Amino acid sequence: MNFFETNISRLAQSNPMLAVALRQSGGGRLEIAPARNGIPSARANGRWIHSAYDPIKEAQAWAEGQDHQNGETIVVLGIGLLYHVEALCARLPRTATVVLVIPDLSVLADAASARVWDDSMDRVILAWGATEAITERIVSAGHPIRLVTYAPAAALHADGHRAVETALQRRVAAEAGGQLNIAVVGPIYGGSLPITGFVVRALESLGHRVRWLDHSVHATSYHQLELLKSPQHRLALQSKYAEMLSRITMAQLAEDPPDFVLALAQAPLILPMLEHLRRKRFLTAMWFVENYRHLTYWQQLAAGYDFWFVIQQEPCMTALKQAGAKIVHYLPMAADPSVHCPVELTKDEQEEYGSDVSFVGAGYANRRGIFPRLLNQEWSFKLWGNEWDGASDLISVLQRNGARIDTETCRKVFNASAVNLNLHSWAGAGFDPDADFVNPRTFELAACGAFQLTDRRSLMQDLFTAGEVASLSSPDELPGEISRWIREPERRVAMAESARRRVLAGHTYVHRMSDLLAKIGMASPDRIGSILRGARQAQALATAADGSFPAVASALRTFRPTQRVELNQLAAQIRSRGPLTTLSREDLMVLMLDEYRSETKDLV
Amino acid sequence: MTSRALIIQLARLGDLVQSLPVLAALATRYPSRPLDLLCPVPLAPLAGCFSLVDKVLEWNGAQWHAWADSFTGGFEPSWLHEVEQSLAALITESYGKAYVLNQHPRAILAGALLATEVQGPYLGGPLDETLSPWASYLRDVARARGSNRIHLSDAFCGLCGVLPPTTPPVLTVPSNDLPADLADVGTLTGQWVAVVVGAGDADRAIPIPVWIEWISALLSHNRPSSVVLVGSERDQSTALAIQDGLSPIVAGCLWDATGRTTLPQLAALLKRCHWVVGADTGPLHLAAAVGTPVMGFYFSRARIHETGPYGRGHWVWQADRALPATWPIQASVKLLGEPATAAQQEPGAGWSLWQSHHDEWGAIFRPVGERDSQKDSRAAVWQRLSEQSLSLQGVR
Repeated sequence: MNFFETNISRLAQSNPMLAVALRQSGGGRLEIAPARNGIPSARANGRWIHSAYDPIKEAQAWAEGQDHQNGETIVVLGIGLLYHVEALCARLPRTATVVLVIPDLSVLADAASARVWDDSMDRVILAWGATEAITERIVSAGHPIRLVTYAPAAALHADGHRAVETALQRRVAAEAGGQLNIAVVGPIYGGSLPITGFVVRALESLGHRVRWLDHSVHATSYHQLELLKSPQHRLALQSKYAEMLSRITMAQLAEDPPDFVLALAQAPLILPMLEHLRRKRFLTAMWFVENYRHLTYWQQLAAGYDFWFVIQQEPCMTALKQAGAKIVHYLPMAADPSVHCPVELTKDEQEEYGSDVSFVGAGYANRRGIFPRLLNQEWSFKLWGNEWDGASDLISVLQRNGARIDTETCRKVFNASAVNLNLHSWAGAGFDPDADFVNPRTFELAACGAFQLTDRRSLMQDLFTAGEVASLSSPDELPGEISRWIREPERRVAMAESARRRVLAGHTYVHRMSDLLAKIGMASPDRIGSILRGARQAQALATAADGSFPAVASALRTFRPTQRVELNQLAAQIRSRGPLTTLSREDLMVLMLDEYRSETKDLV
Repeated sequence: MTSRALIIQLARLGDLVQSLPVLAALATRYPSRPLDLLCPVPLAPLAGCFSLVDKVLEWNGAQWHAWADSFTGGFEPSWLHEVEQSLAALITESYGKAYVLNQHPRAILAGALLATEVQGPYLGGPLDETLSPWASYLRDVARARGSNRIHLSDAFCGLCGVLPPTTPPVLTVPSNDLPADLADVGTLTGQWVAVVVGAGDADRAIPIPVWIEWISALLSHNRPSSVVLVGSERDQSTALAIQDGLSPIVAGCLWDATGRTTLPQLAALLKRCHWVVGADTGPLHLAAAVGTPVMGFYFSRARIHETGPYGRGHWVWQADRALPATWPIQASVKLLGEPATAAQQEPGAGWSLWQSHHDEWGAIFRPVGERDSQKDSRAAVWQRLSEQSLSLQGVR
């Protein structure tokens, strides 16, 4: 009997359907070649999937580097010849649940043909089929889930793995019932300040306890430093100021330690402070809602945060990893429908805010160069926003003398304009040559039910269809496209409505925060993941304490079943019984643990 | 339940050493009952030298911290299994009685976890914060900072219901092997003076320039002297700074032992010296405990009557303010060579000089060269607190 028959016959005993499917699929995806030590290794697309010298030793080294906590389901991404799966099984307790994701049966067929699998494969759950089937199989194996990736083999199925990961994250997000304590650190000022507010509201609406460490209260003092004439003094003092705000943040975190710290771009947290937070076991995440090409301070901070979330994909994500970031995820911008929503305008308001074409935003170089060609057309054009000093040719259309426009006015302009221009900022001429990310304005206009015409962005197609947001690839097309859309009011309305539905269905800050938490929960199944699953809720804790610790279980049952209970709350419950109460041994242990917990963390 | 008794002392080195009198008093009062001691892991090697202690139990605070910090604020019942295992490794059966010397919840909870009956600062259980008469007295004294004359070591005795030992106990340390370059300490001719360079709290540390001036004055004196700098690893930079500030000429008379000894080795080193000088610190109390004459500079929150060096014949310079403006350098150096002239010493503005004594009520410090203006009320305090304790025992 050849290797394939040996392996498949054995597999058929536990998984006959997969055995049949493997017989039908055939192999040929991997090129099997002997390693230097004589055992089979494999190549795909000209690259080695296992070591060309000693695949087993390499697999053992990989397995040694994988984390595991008792009770977790280990999900392996990457098939290859299964050396790494066998090495991982050898390292884990026999009771550990291991699931191997099989996006492509032909690779598993190659693995079956290359050699005889060892006995440990009998206890590996093979999750195969469509994404939904694989996801269902993983979830049914049990929580919590820890993903481990054998990168050389996983690279063959990057899209399939991404789909499974996304589906798992959605499941985690959907099942999340636990309440996290989250500290959100915002900037002193700037575009990420309102986004911080949207993020805070979204997290609260998901049921979490959120504390906004709001540094905008320091903006006036910070701006005073900008008045210093000496650049040396200004930069030195601004740096010192940011360091002091960083220390203030640490003190605030120490007073009420959160489960994790979410920083928004420009948050005044410096690298030494982030490293100190890590030493104190705080999890940190940064949502970098900036163009990484323009603002490059991420290079100094990359290694400081545990998680990075960015609005760009490649090469941004690779650049961050090369700078030291450990985990980087793509998380596009969004809208807050409670702020960005359709508004009914009075006749006077329509008069004041309305025009055929409008633009709201700051006077970046590319806009200054493009907008003059919109003057003296058959349609009216209004320009709203600040930082247009010196743009003398645009004075005739600039509203309110170039004053800063608040959110309420924005909404009215969006709703009163037939065509809202949305040109992403760029310091050069024309359109941004690296046109990848989609700006917040895109989502805000869509959420307001307003029609928009944007410059073309490579990441747009995953977020909006051409039937939801109109785009163009060159400034030269702008006058013609505007004229065309002005002539099609019904289509404009239909597209705007579709775009709004799309935002409500998938592009709100609630969606983004749900995704963000699910990603962190997946990467941290024993901490954030367990809280999200509700493992820290009174009922779950009481069930875990039953049997071994009846007094603690009884104390936990005095809380609301879904209430998250922390050590200090349990200790407070015990203390509340009064000075004359007789304490059990369990009570004493809890009180002792709480005494050690209560020491203020040495953060400042 | 075992018939042995347990003393719980979870504070620092100085407190542990100052618990020797209560160990002696309890051993005298209950000669047939074995006495065990619970102390922090780092102090256990020294506690192992206490001849009156039968068994030393090591309290692993770092492990408790790790459990508590495992999850930020969270709680998981499974941790209790680990805690149970740790406690089971500590004792196999509960103590019949534990004496808790610290008014800290951890020590009080440890007492409740390890023994069926607890005697200490609280009259009731861990949640009943009604203070015992002795704990109340110590609290009031700490607040008033006035006329207390009961030493902390003797107050420990009161907390445990025994009178202070009639003679100060002396800690006998085994002759520990010292590092080779410290082997000569105390064996060569001349006067050997150990200088405790640091302190547990920064505000209790004697400033480096003061030490430089003091050591320079000592070594430029006519009599031959050698100085040994002692302290923990944390004090090594201070020791280096002191050496940097001294004239190179004194190099042959200076020995740096900071961070290079275990606690038993430190005790042996201090025993070899003729004098030990320093602020109110653990090593200073250790020196007094091994029987080496001590000269202390007490300032900041240090109060001679509460935590002066225990025993007879020790000297203490007490400052009248937290941060002294001047230091009695010449006077204190002279005192080391000519103790008989103590009465003629002019301590200088802001300082007073005291000497330790011992009687039936324990330690007492009397001013040198002037009449003790304060009435010795120790007997009255002992009588009052003993009566209150007895009356409470009757009630309970």
